[in-house]
Amino acid sequence: MMAVTGATGFLGGEVVKSLLGLGVERVRCLVRPGTDPQRLVRLEALGPRVQVVPCRLDDPEGLAAALAGVRVVYHAAAAKRGAPAALVAGTVLPTEHVLRAAAQAAVGRAVLVSSFAVLGVAGLRRGTLVDEATPLEPHPEARDGYAFAKHRQEALAWRLCQERGLPLAVVRPGFVFGPGQDLLGSRIGLRLPGLFLHLGGGCPVPLTYVENCAEGVALAGLVPAAAQSAVCLVDDDLPTSRALLRRYRREVEPLRTVPIPLPALRLLARANAWYSARTRGHLPPVLTPYKVDSLWRPQRFSNRRARQVLGWHPRVSMTEALDRTFAALAARARAEALP
Amino acid sequence: MSPGGKATTRVLVVGCGQICDAHVQEARRAGAEVVAVCDASPAMAEQAAARLAVPAAHADLAEALATYHPDVVHVTTPPQTHLAVAVRALEHGAHVYVEKPATLDAREAAVLSDVARERGLLVCPGHNLLFDPAVRRLRELVDNGVLGEVVHAQAVMGYDLAGPFGALALSDPDHWVHRLPGGLAHNNLPHPLSLVLPFVGPAPVVVAQGRRLRPERHGDARDRFHDELRVLLEGPRATAAIFFSCRIRPVQLSLELYGTRRAAAASLEARTVRVTEGSPLPGPFQKVDWARREARAATGEALRRAGDLLRARLHYFEGMRALFRAFHRAARGEAPPPEPVAQMLPAAEVLDRVFERCRAAEERAA
Repeated sequence: MMAVTGATGFLGGEVVKSLLGLGVERVRCLVRPGTDPQRLVRLEALGPRVQVVPCRLDDPEGLAAALAGVRVVYHAAAAKRGAPAALVAGTVLPTEHVLRAAAQAAVGRAVLVSSFAVLGVAGLRRGTLVDEATPLEPHPEARDGYAFAKHRQEALAWRLCQERGLPLAVVRPGFVFGPGQDLLGSRIGLRLPGLFLHLGGGCPVPLTYVENCAEGVALAGLVPAAAQSAVCLVDDDLPTSRALLRRYRREVEPLRTVPIPLPALRLLARANAWYSARTRGHLPPVLTPYKVDSLWRPQRFSNRRARQVLGWHPRVSMTEALDRTFAALAARARAEALP
Repeated sequence: MSPGGKATTRVLVVGCGQICDAHVQEARRAGAEVVAVCDASPAMAEQAAARLAVPAAHADLAEALATYHPDVVHVTTPPQTHLAVAVRALEHGAHVYVEKPATLDAREAAVLSDVARERGLLVCPGHNLLFDPAVRRLRELVDNGVLGEVVHAQAVMGYDLAGPFGALALSDPDHWVHRLPGGLAHNNLPHPLSLVLPFVGPAPVVVAQGRRLRPERHGDARDRFHDELRVLLEGPRATAAIFFSCRIRPVQLSLELYGTRRAAAASLEARTVRVTEGSPLPGPFQKVDWARREARAATGEALRRAGDLLRARLHYFEGMRALFRAFHRAARGEAPPPEPVAQMLPAAEVLDRVFERCRAAEERAA
C-alpha cells in the first residue's frame, strides 16, 4: 500500500496514476475532509485500487490511522499561493505532521515533493549547470514566499527523518506544466493589466511535464537507490522563455509584451529595493537584485542524476508536451472569449 | 531607550500567522523594538523570525514573557485563544494589544477588562481603522463642528471571499473563523462597528439580520456563515447603520456621517474625504452648482493623494501604525489611552446582540 497526500492537486493526481501504471497494487489518497466532490472524481475514476481517505494533515490520530500498513508515503500536498505565513502554514506544518506520523507508523520510506526553488542559484555564474550539486538556498528569506516555504519544508524533512530514522527521498521538480496549468509563470515574466512584462529573455525554462514528473516522483518511492538522496526533475529539450512566450502569443492570446533585458531588470530591482527600504515598505520589494539573479539569470539544467538513480526518462517528449498544453490553453482561451 | 535617547517600547508578538507580519513591521514603524515572536508551533515562530529579522523565536509563551519582560504584548493568535494569552501577558505585567475581535464575547471582554484594571494595565483591541488617516480627518471635521451634531453614521464594508483570507477559510471547514459565534462576519464587523460606535453611544438598541446569499456547495461549516449583515444601531440622539457584504464590488470600506450642518464621507480604500455642503442656488442651478462643488473637492483630493504618493505616505497599514504609536505612548504613561481601549467592552456587547438577533431571526424564519 502506498499513500499520497495532495492527491487532488495537479501533480498529486498524476502521481497516483503513475503508481498504478508502475504496478502498485493499492494507493491510499489522503484528502482534506470536505474536499469538493468534483475534485475527487478523477481519483475515483481510477478504479478500486485507489482508496480515498478523508484525513486532515494536522491531525496526528487521523494520520496514524491513514498511514497504518503503508509502505511508502508520497507527500505532495503544499500551499501554492497566499501570504508567506500562510504558505508556511500550508506547507511546512503538514509536512511535520505527516513525517512524524509516518515514522510512528513505521512507514518504509517518505518521498517529499520539493522544488527547484530550494536551490541557491543567485550567486552562480551565467550558464552554470544547476543540478543536485548546487547548494541549497543560503538566503531563503530573500526569495519569494513559495521558495521560502519549500526551503523550510525540505530542511525540516531532512532533519525529522534523520532524527526518527525514516528513510527519505526528495524530488525537486522544475516548473511542472501540462493541460490545466498556466504556462506564463514568474520565470517567464509578470502579468500586468493589459500588459505582460517579459523578464525571462532567452533563459532556458526548467520545465517538467506533469506526467513525466509524476513518474519520477513515483519511482523515487520504489527504487532502492533513491532513499536518502535528492534528485532534480526537468525534461529534455528545454525551451527558452522567449520561445514559450512567442508561441503563447501566437496560439493562446495576443498579449502585449514588453521585454525587459537583464541589466535593465537588475537596475529596476535595485530601485525597487532601495525605495522599499527607504520608505519602510511604501511599495513592497517585489523585485530585488537577489530575486532577479535567482529567477532570470540564464542557467542550464540537468536531469542526469534522475536518469541514473531512478532509471527515469521523460516519456512524453517536450514537443508533444507543449503541443498538448498549448492546445488546452487555446481551448480555454476560446471558451473564455465566448459571450 | 533608542539611540536618540527616546523611550522605546519593547514588543513581543504572540501568534505568527498572516497578520503577524503587519504587527512586526508597523510596530517598528511606530518606533518600537520587536524583541521576539512566539507561536505554539516552533516552525511558525521560527519562520516569522527568519523572514522579519526578529532576534528571537519562542514556542513557549511563559518562557518568552519571563525572558524578555516586554512592555507590550501583541496578541495575533486565533480569537479563541485571545483571552488566555492576554491574561497571561497581563499577569506578567505587560500591556496588551489584541487583534480584533478582541474576545469571543462580552463575558470574556469583561474578564479581560477586570484583570487589566486590577493590575493597572491597558488592553487595546485592534480597532486600528479609527486611526486611518481618512477617518481621522473625518473625526477632525466632527470635532471642529464642521458637520454640526452627527445624527446618522453609516459604514459599508465589502469583503472578497476569493481574497487570501477568504479563500483560506473557504478551503477549510475547520478554520477557526467558522468557530466564531458570528462566523466570518465576526472577524470583520469589529472594524465598521468601531467607526460608528462613537456616534451612537455605548449601549445602542440593536436590530440585525444575517443572510446567506451564496450557493451552498460544501454541506459543512463553510455553507453556514452569513455573507451579508444588515445592522441598525439606535442611540439616544443618533443612529448608525452597518452593511457588511461579500457581494459588493469594488471591495471597500466607507464611512458616511450625516450632521445637522453638513454631511461627509470617507473612503478608506481611496483614503479620501468628501464633504457635502449642498448648494444655496435655486432650482436647476442647484444641481449644477452641487456637482461643481463635488468635482472641485474631488480634484483637490486627487491632488492631495498624488502628493502623498510622492512623499510615500500611503502605507497600507497606516492606521495600525498610528494606533500602535498611540497605544505604546499610553503604555509608557506619556499619553492617555487611545479611544479603542474604552471600546473593547461596549463593542463586544454590541457584537453579542448583533449575533443574537441574527440567530433569533433565523430561528423565526425556520
